[in-house]
Amino acid sequence: MKRIDRLSQWMGKTESFKKLSTLPLNFVLNFVLIVPFAIMIFLSFTRWEPLSGYDWWHASIAGVPRFMEAFGDARLLWALIRTTIFVAAVVPVEFLLGLGIALLFLGDFRGKKAFTSVVMYPMMMPWVVVGLGFYLMFQYYGPVNLLLLKPVFGEGGMIDWFTNTVLAFFAVMIADIWQWTPLMFLIIYAGLAAVPSRLIEAAQVLGASSARIVRTVRLPLIKPLLVVALIIRGLEAFKVFDIVYIMTRGGPGVNSTEVVSLYVYNLSIVYHNTSYACAVSLLIMVAIALVTRLAIRPLEAKRE
Amino acid sequence: MVSLSFKGPAEWYAPNLIPIQPIIDNYISLFVPTNPIGGSYFFTSITEPITRPLINSLIAAGLGTIFAVLVGFLAAYGVSRYRAGGTFVIFFTLLTRMLPGATFVAPLMVFYASIGFIDTYVGLILLYTAVTLTYAIWLMKGFIDEIPPEWEEAALLEGATPWAVLRKITIPLTKGGLVASALFIFILNWSEFLFALVISVTQVTTLPVQISKYVSAVGRMYGTMASLGLVATIPSLVLGYLIQKHLVTGFTFGRVR
Repeated sequence: MKRIDRLSQWMGKTESFKKLSTLPLNFVLNFVLIVPFAIMIFLSFTRWEPLSGYDWWHASIAGVPRFMEAFGDARLLWALIRTTIFVAAVVPVEFLLGLGIALLFLGDFRGKKAFTSVVMYPMMMPWVVVGLGFYLMFQYYGPVNLLLLKPVFGEGGMIDWFTNTVLAFFAVMIADIWQWTPLMFLIIYAGLAAVPSRLIEAAQVLGASSARIVRTVRLPLIKPLLVVALIIRGLEAFKVFDIVYIMTRGGPGVNSTEVVSLYVYNLSIVYHNTSYACAVSLLIMVAIALVTRLAIRPLEAKRE
Repeated sequence: MVSLSFKGPAEWYAPNLIPIQPIIDNYISLFVPTNPIGGSYFFTSITEPITRPLINSLIAAGLGTIFAVLVGFLAAYGVSRYRAGGTFVIFFTLLTRMLPGATFVAPLMVFYASIGFIDTYVGLILLYTAVTLTYAIWLMKGFIDEIPPEWEEAALLEGATPWAVLRKITIPLTKGGLVASALFIFILNWSEFLFALVISVTQVTTLPVQISKYVSAVGRMYGTMASLGLVATIPSLVLGYLIQKHLVTGFTFGRVR
């Protein structure tokens, strides 16, 4: 850090370069993010819709800000609850699975290297393709029913996944878990592998069992890393859209799997309720900005 | 999915993993959709071949990547060496990553509609650049941080301009990292779905959007869907294999390496 300070002090004459270096960034951010953001704030105070018949900049301010409506919106509330359930179900499972596999991988065995490279593939796949894959798997005549449930429970055990409101959501969760457990595994494994071996050896010499070493030496040492992994994954899981859109599109029944992202999408694209969509978006953004601000704190602490 | 993509319609509902009569008709029908496989019972409402979405995906993801890398590299360099923009840039780029993309859809559509960017390559590419800039900056900042600043300092003392230092020292030294970042960003752009879905009408449909059309189309073309999914996945897997080591770094913002 000190070196860099000295460098930048010394480079007083390169001030223009400093400004220039982030100029393109500012241009792109302003154009694609800030301008829409301003539009969003403006529109969330109006009652404008694309079908209103006049351009949006002629829209007049509505008496009551649109986001007051959001507080009485049951559908939004349910979407929020559903998304929270999704995050609360998916992230711990991914975390525990990843942790479990990472612990198994502490030992050496044949094919370990090949496995660590195969395990990365789900993360690289386009989200839509993951959704598609699991959509096909959970069809009535798909492999899950025919290869898993039918041999075990017989013909009657076959489930029509996508017509049951709970099971459809469950299928979406499985798809997400399948895709993102590898990330958890790789983060945790990298952390565990970086624990200095002399600490482990010391504990072994003192006669600690391997389960105890994991609990009292390895895990506490990588705790900051685990927190980071959980936060990043939690915030990412909240954004879930692609797999839900592909697999259920919010159905079956009345929006039984509609998550927040999908609801906002529906408001703006399907119902053309643009100004209300803006208001809801704004609320969600503010909420997430606050959460991010709080969540960054452990990240920053780890950085220093 | 691999197995399904080589199966004929008669076997789509059968539990066997290895097709009895492997066929490649599914792949052919992607390019010639008017020639339905398995007779008239299995038809689809999709009439356009995937050539167009395939090329669109390549253009949008490719150009989006190039711009993101160019802009991102400059910014990453500025942030890493000169602390340009202060913490605001850092927080702002992080925030854009954490916000759900869907919350940007409504105002973006309004904005794009008023400047005529809907269903254009310019609109899509600009958007991809902005969305992946975050990753570009964080990944490349990590690579730049690894180079000792003394080397650049020395060159500056010799009287080189910052641009020359960038060109002669920093870029050659971070070349590997730049390529890895570019490939990572390409994979992200290639997978991007939401923005492509809302921006595209007919002209700039990308592969993920095409896949979603098959899912909601009339006629359950399971075999065709599976083969389309595989076609869309292969580039990601090939590129991803090349940058395995940097993948976790990319997804976790360089917090974990």
